[in-house]
Amino acid sequence: MRKRLNKWTALVTVGAMTMTLLSGCQKAASTDGTGQTSKAEETTQTTAQTTTAEEKKDTADAGSTPRNETLYFNGQQWGTINDWNPLSSNSNNAMAITQQDNARTIVYETLFMYNMLDGKLYGLLGKDYSWNDGQTELTITINPDAKWSDQTPVTAQDVAYTFDCHKKYATAQGSDYSNYIDTVEAKDDHTVIFKAKLDDKGLPVNPLKVVEYVPKIYVMQKAYLQKVEQRNGNDADKIKQDRMDDFVASGPYKSYYNDDQKVVFVRDDNYWGKALWGKLPAPKYITHVIYENNAAGDTAFKSGEVDVSQQFITNVQKLWEEDGLPISTYIDEAPYGVCATMPTAFFNVEKPGLDRKEVRKAIAMAVDYDQIIASAMSNQSPSFKDVPRSIMNPTSGEQALVNQDALKDYQFTGNDVEGAKALLDKAGIVDKDGDGIREIDGKNLTFKAECPDGWTDWNASLEIVAAAGSKIGIGIETYFPDANTFYDDMTTRKFDICMWNPPAASVANPWGRAMAFMSTDYAGLKVNWTGNYGGYINEDANNLLKKIPLETNKDTLKEYYTELSRIYLDEVPSFSLMYRPMLFHAVNESVWTGFPQLDDGDNIPPTDCTDGYGIAALYNLVNVK
Amino acid sequence: MKNQIRQIFHSPKFTVGFIIFAALLVLTVFYPLIVTNDPLEMVGQGNFFKPGTYISVSEAVNTNPYTLNLNASSSRLEQNLSMEERMAMADWLNQFAGISSKEMDVTDAGGLVSLWKDHYDSASEQKGLIAARKKYFSRLDKKITGLLEDTDVLLAEKNQETGEVSVKKTIPSTSYVNVKDVGSRRVFILGTDNFGRDVLTELVAAIKTSLKIGFIAGLIATTIGLSLGLIAGYLGGIIDDFILFITNLFTVIPSFILLILISYSIGKNARGVMMVAIIIGLTSWTWTTRSVRSQVISLRNRDHVNLSKLSGHSLFRIILTDILPYIASYVVMALILQISSGILAEAQLSMIGLGPATTTVSTLGLMMNWAMSYSAHLNGDWWAYFPVIISIALISFSLNLMNTGLDQIFNPQLRE
Repeated sequence: MRKRLNKWTALVTVGAMTMTLLSGCQKAASTDGTGQTSKAEETTQTTAQTTTAEEKKDTADAGSTPRNETLYFNGQQWGTINDWNPLSSNSNNAMAITQQDNARTIVYETLFMYNMLDGKLYGLLGKDYSWNDGQTELTITINPDAKWSDQTPVTAQDVAYTFDCHKKYATAQGSDYSNYIDTVEAKDDHTVIFKAKLDDKGLPVNPLKVVEYVPKIYVMQKAYLQKVEQRNGNDADKIKQDRMDDFVASGPYKSYYNDDQKVVFVRDDNYWGKALWGKLPAPKYITHVIYENNAAGDTAFKSGEVDVSQQFITNVQKLWEEDGLPISTYIDEAPYGVCATMPTAFFNVEKPGLDRKEVRKAIAMAVDYDQIIASAMSNQSPSFKDVPRSIMNPTSGEQALVNQDALKDYQFTGNDVEGAKALLDKAGIVDKDGDGIREIDGKNLTFKAECPDGWTDWNASLEIVAAAGSKIGIGIETYFPDANTFYDDMTTRKFDICMWNPPAASVANPWGRAMAFMSTDYAGLKVNWTGNYGGYINEDANNLLKKIPLETNKDTLKEYYTELSRIYLDEVPSFSLMYRPMLFHAVNESVWTGFPQLDDGDNIPPTDCTDGYGIAALYNLVNVK
Repeated sequence: MKNQIRQIFHSPKFTVGFIIFAALLVLTVFYPLIVTNDPLEMVGQGNFFKPGTYISVSEAVNTNPYTLNLNASSSRLEQNLSMEERMAMADWLNQFAGISSKEMDVTDAGGLVSLWKDHYDSASEQKGLIAARKKYFSRLDKKITGLLEDTDVLLAEKNQETGEVSVKKTIPSTSYVNVKDVGSRRVFILGTDNFGRDVLTELVAAIKTSLKIGFIAGLIATTIGLSLGLIAGYLGGIIDDFILFITNLFTVIPSFILLILISYSIGKNARGVMMVAIIIGLTSWTWTTRSVRSQVISLRNRDHVNLSKLSGHSLFRIILTDILPYIASYVVMALILQISSGILAEAQLSMIGLGPATTTVSTLGLMMNWAMSYSAHLNGDWWAYFPVIISIALISFSLNLMNTGLDQIFNPQLRE
């Protein structure tokens, strides 16, 4: 009797568990049971619910803010923030400090904002800029309205002193730009002059790098910098490690709350930019919850807890096509975003085997790029058949600078296993010992292809590269170490094949990208964070790279870039695996709407409402009613 | 012996376990004979294609059509516009065209669509509507336009020389093809994975690999465990102390951590199926040693063993003929458990990316790993991971069932 009872209990338990499991797998039932509730009403309901939930939490949870006044992000900040210091080289405060070609200007501000859609600079702290004739002096006038958060005006002295500090304390930015910018001088309170460094002939070393500084490097307050210098006794290392918790900045947001769970910024209602933009940015708070991993971030994004997602989402279109969520991307169809960069596999050309261009080209020819784009990137990239290879990204501005007809003979679109085999056979690189792997001087051609662990789409791409290797008799093993090990391998050339992003859209590109692919200068660096990680050296290419920054004639530039692309495709020091957006930009319109869209006429780039000119989007947002 | 086997198969638990296990084994043997495709071939260009039959469109177009009078455009509308979509349309018309809900009848798709066609304009401002919704309506409009098309689809041909396009064939909307007439097709019973590989084919190959790893790991672990246990238990003394010391040492170190460390240090290329199996085997022998040893200790002073000793039999012979047969049933059960845990260990290892290389072999853990990284579990692509979980569950369930069944027969305490 008892045994039977036991059996029944077991059966019931198993049954119950299965049912729970299955009900968990069910899709969320649609709420419009009555059939007439509109989507807008639904979303208000959810907003109302989340708001009340949020309010309830308020008492218990520090740093909570009302849902309908807060814009939530994911995919930018992955750990507790360590400082507010733009001079630091290991700041992880991604939302506040991201000094790149499209700098993030919600806390600190740059002189100008770069817009990758039209390639122009838009004024922020700066108002106008102009070159003198020889491109030796760049004059910038400061916006007279600009003020620091302590209400003192932003002056030309601040701009000059910021550069001086970068140079004096040899920050990462300072050591780079001091090669191209000699001095930054304040002519008067509102005019600042960038003097380019000159070479022996009296020509500027590189005017492009001077302009590049402008939308990239934050302006800091002179008085505050002096305070920091004083409290650290002018010690460079200490200054670079100062947490700067009491920072003074000029941007629309300031620090509100942060811990290991999230970072919250609050709008500065006295922000000077009201004069520039005509109003304040819409969200009162900006919050980035620190998620454990992509999956956690995705789940939050889908449920409407995150408004702007900077994460790669597999088959993002399914979210609206199948799940009917109020989620959209900048473009409604593939590739869903503006691809401005191209993750690239760099060959270490010092490795025996990879020093032969036939081997490099054969690997590049055999890889199935369509498969990478369709599966690893789930079609969020145009194919190399639509946008043939060159050193350009797929934006129309850059494509106009290359003559694709001249590159036809050098193109490869991938999955050409026979062609790759023939190339290797012709070069006498064959498999003599019959183990399926070709040899050079009796040594098997086996290489490691690496990228950081957990970068899903990159991991999958390298697996596809490895699969191509095995088809043409070259052993390629994938290796996914943690990010820090990878950085070490990449910057000190301890890799065979490594994957990294060349510079995306910037005022100095495509020149900067061409440098990252082929610059001899970079090849010689001991610790190389800048580009040409594989150490490729080509004098012809290097000469062209030196000529480009001084050239202003578009036709000549096109000629130079075409020749560079030809060398690049012929020699294959590295090869791009896909095109990719600089930032992923998907938005959930449960709470906020008015995000930039293709063809909305606003010319705001999809840079997560924070980067470069993309910050203009913050002023257009409205609550969903 | 015969009697014993009969006895074993009288145990319902053992029989069920055995049948499941044998079925899996048969599957791995016979499936590759029928479906000869390479399990690692990336067939589908894209991730997670749904399960189903895929037929070639270009062949379908060129196949002789059958005319079926099924598809008048109004019934097409009725069939293809879901209630949800009709509600949304009614909503839009109500909100932006000022048509009261009384004038509309959502059960009449034709009427609704004609109202829609009259009033909808994707360029209109649609104030208060979020972008995602605007895009939804413009997609819906596109769908309706497609459904309304009554004209034939034209198939054009390009002249190689002149580049001119001429009509090759017209396809009326009443044309149907019989799926059997289309030669080029591929059935994905369980869809495809993130690399576009056929999940079922891959799964069968993975089960085979996992079983192989389990067997090898189990055999190695059992062999090491058994020999050390026998020696330690029978000889006793300082040798016993020494072996026990080593065993305890390995018991204290969590074997999974050891497994991770070794796997990590030998690198991915060296980590083939064989190597992974050996590593697992080498890290999981300890408890077999301990239990065999204690069994042998209780056996070694039995009369028949002493008798053998007095008769001058060699150590090897005593262990082989007087001790081993008494613990054989136990060893078999231990082997079964070791196999099961070996398979699980491989799955765990591959899950964290320390298994064999993705491009060389498919294993259950690797399949789980990629399905997880491509968030199949979040996107509802169940076919990429659920069958894998079921397979792992079935394998270890069947093995454990067999083990329990054997236990009931051989363990006198459990005998009914």
